[in-house]
Amino acid sequence: MALTQQQPTLRQPSAALFVRLKLRVLANNMRGKSWRIALFVLGLAVGLWWAASAFFLLAAPGFTDNVDAAVLASALGGGLLVLGWALLPLVFFGVDETLDPARFALLPLRRRTLVTGLVAAAMIGVPALAAVVATSGLVIAAALLGGWVAAVVQAVGTVAGLILCIVASRAVTSAFATMLRSRRVRDMAAILLACVAALIGPVQIGVVALLENADWQRLLGPARVIGWTPLAAPYTMGIDVAAGRAWAVPLKLLITAATVAALLWWWSRTLESAMLGAESAGPAKAAAATSDSAVDQLFPRSMPWLPRNRYGALAAREARYWWRDARRRAGLITFAVIGVVMPVMVNVSSGGLSGSTSPVMISLTMVFVGVIGAASLANQFGYDGSAYAANVVAGVPGAVELRARLMAFTTYLGPLLLVIAAIVAAFLREPADIGLMLGSLGAAYGSGLAINLFVSLHGAYALPETSNPFAINAGSGVAKSLLSILGLIGATAVAIPIVVVTALVGGAPVWLWLAAPAGIAYGVAAAWLATYVVGDMLDRQMPELLQAVSPNR
Amino acid sequence: MVKRFDAKVAVAGVNLDVPAGSFYGLLGPNGAGKTTTLSMAVGLLRPDAGTAWVLGHDVWSDPVRAKALLGVLPDGVRLFDRLSGAELLAYHGLLRGMDPAVVDQRARELLDVLALADAGRTLVVDYSAGMKKKIGLACALLHAPRLVVLDEPFEAVDPVSAARIRDILHRYVTGGGTVIFSSHVMEVVERLCTHVAIMAEGTIKRVGTLDEVRGERSLEDVFVEVVGGRTATGEELAWL
Repeated sequence: MALTQQQPTLRQPSAALFVRLKLRVLANNMRGKSWRIALFVLGLAVGLWWAASAFFLLAAPGFTDNVDAAVLASALGGGLLVLGWALLPLVFFGVDETLDPARFALLPLRRRTLVTGLVAAAMIGVPALAAVVATSGLVIAAALLGGWVAAVVQAVGTVAGLILCIVASRAVTSAFATMLRSRRVRDMAAILLACVAALIGPVQIGVVALLENADWQRLLGPARVIGWTPLAAPYTMGIDVAAGRAWAVPLKLLITAATVAALLWWWSRTLESAMLGAESAGPAKAAAATSDSAVDQLFPRSMPWLPRNRYGALAAREARYWWRDARRRAGLITFAVIGVVMPVMVNVSSGGLSGSTSPVMISLTMVFVGVIGAASLANQFGYDGSAYAANVVAGVPGAVELRARLMAFTTYLGPLLLVIAAIVAAFLREPADIGLMLGSLGAAYGSGLAINLFVSLHGAYALPETSNPFAINAGSGVAKSLLSILGLIGATAVAIPIVVVTALVGGAPVWLWLAAPAGIAYGVAAAWLATYVVGDMLDRQMPELLQAVSPNR
Repeated sequence: MVKRFDAKVAVAGVNLDVPAGSFYGLLGPNGAGKTTTLSMAVGLLRPDAGTAWVLGHDVWSDPVRAKALLGVLPDGVRLFDRLSGAELLAYHGLLRGMDPAVVDQRARELLDVLALADAGRTLVVDYSAGMKKKIGLACALLHAPRLVVLDEPFEAVDPVSAARIRDILHRYVTGGGTVIFSSHVMEVVERLCTHVAIMAEGTIKRVGTLDEVRGERSLEDVFVEVVGGRTATGEELAWL
């Protein structure tokens, strides 16, 4: 089919139009919903509070007239900021897709127009505002150290740095979204994500080292090197002028520009496939018919213990969803990486000085891992979206529903937690502590499940129906972080008895043996109790829950 | 039944009496409140006032019995679409407390009749719009309900599939079942229904058997008159 005609020259919209569109969407999202306004204000306050502390920290070297400290602050601060922008959306917050690129697929927009427009629109938001406020501390430092020339150069660098941050976060999330959607590369994506998350490790070591040994001179060398990488190149320009290295400025500008250009190119490549992906989920795979009966197909072969009834069907469906739904899979994979890296880092770095790790520290980190693991369920009904209507229409009893969901999730998390305990024990060379680890994990995971059942019912919110597993709505970003933090605190509080007991009896051999059965029994009891209590609430609130998780159409 | 959303009254007092064994069409323009009404009737949306009865069971105070008699195909609601067709049917069947052997047998029959067996293990998310409607209908019929409530069952369905769905529903009503469905396609309603209700702005404007409602005229004329559509003058959109 070909439709040819003399095309009138189309005027491409300016970036300002995208910015206005984003502001309008944000405003409309909040119209008439006071709790959303409250959440937005809260998010703004928290963001600005962080930004203000960072501002003073970065500006401090200017007041103490210390050029070396300014180099450290700009290189390390800038590097952390860019790294955080690129990686944190993958792990925690999700990227703000208020303007979903897929919505623009049918409009006659050049790719360049679309990309500049989306970048401009991405600058509107609390994270970008906080980044600007924080890094303007460096402008003050540069001004105090090197006069107005340094300040102007630093201001240019700060703006360039913001653009770098935004483009990096878009490119990384967009690329990962495309990867995770395709099943063939999902294993590769998992490995890549593991590498990315492992990058957080060295940074963590650096920060810990920075705090523990105040030998600033030793860090100056690495900081200078970081200042020449794209991570901190834009943020160190003004300080360079102040230090008498004005020749570095054009080079660093070039580094930044080249990085931004490369990231933009990468983003626009993945953006195109993300837009296409939204229109058709790809060609239907040549799906071989099987001779299995319908019921046999539903139940995974790896879960032969599930009964062939309502409970079994719910658990089997959930188990399939934890792997087939890209959003849930992304959550599982990131948890697998964090769960291994985090406790190893904390225990190794805290035990590295004293020689051996204390049982309380081991117990605490394991509680943290268990609680984080269970936090994946905080919006479990939101993952279902309007599909949850099927369960409402069938009138599934709440307790059965919740028990099946916990069962399916634990089928994945249980072995994972075992592996984490084994890896950490191997790293610490303390095989005797594995009982304590399992006990802490079991208690924390069970308490986390119990608390998150409450959260998932009372704090359920709709996720946008997009193919990007990291996407969340602008308004719910704050709500999401707030709820997960509340869930984490609550779950830790419920699980704390096991840490207290560990602190009281210390490394007594009896406790090393008793910790595993006691902790796991505690966790199972907490989760079991919660399925009854929350199940009862769910029975009375099914239609309201469905409303909460259905995206507004 | 009454439902308000914030300041907007979506359904302002609807009272429908659907006789058992009837083929009931709920007609109305977009935004008339059809989906809201049907959602309240099947227990998906809590009404602000009023209730719904299914063959003597109150949907809102005795949901277990009422829902066992109901089959529902909601509109604009996703299925658990990361399952294959067969898996989805098995899930719905077991969720309704059916025997696994019966589920297997009925699922195979339904997939064959609705020409979905060829899709094999393709996930429902990769189905076309028409195929999604058909698998949704299969899920609604699987447990042999006494009443099926279908929201826009013919939207986005190709003519061949639509004909097949009509046949199935016709046979179901002949066998004693009751069907309520919403639509804004007059031809379908005129061909299938025994009873019709026309809804606009959250209230029922006309109700009765098909012949009572349309009288001597065509259903479309009655509908446009009731709803109050405008007639084109031929002046507007001259640039098109």
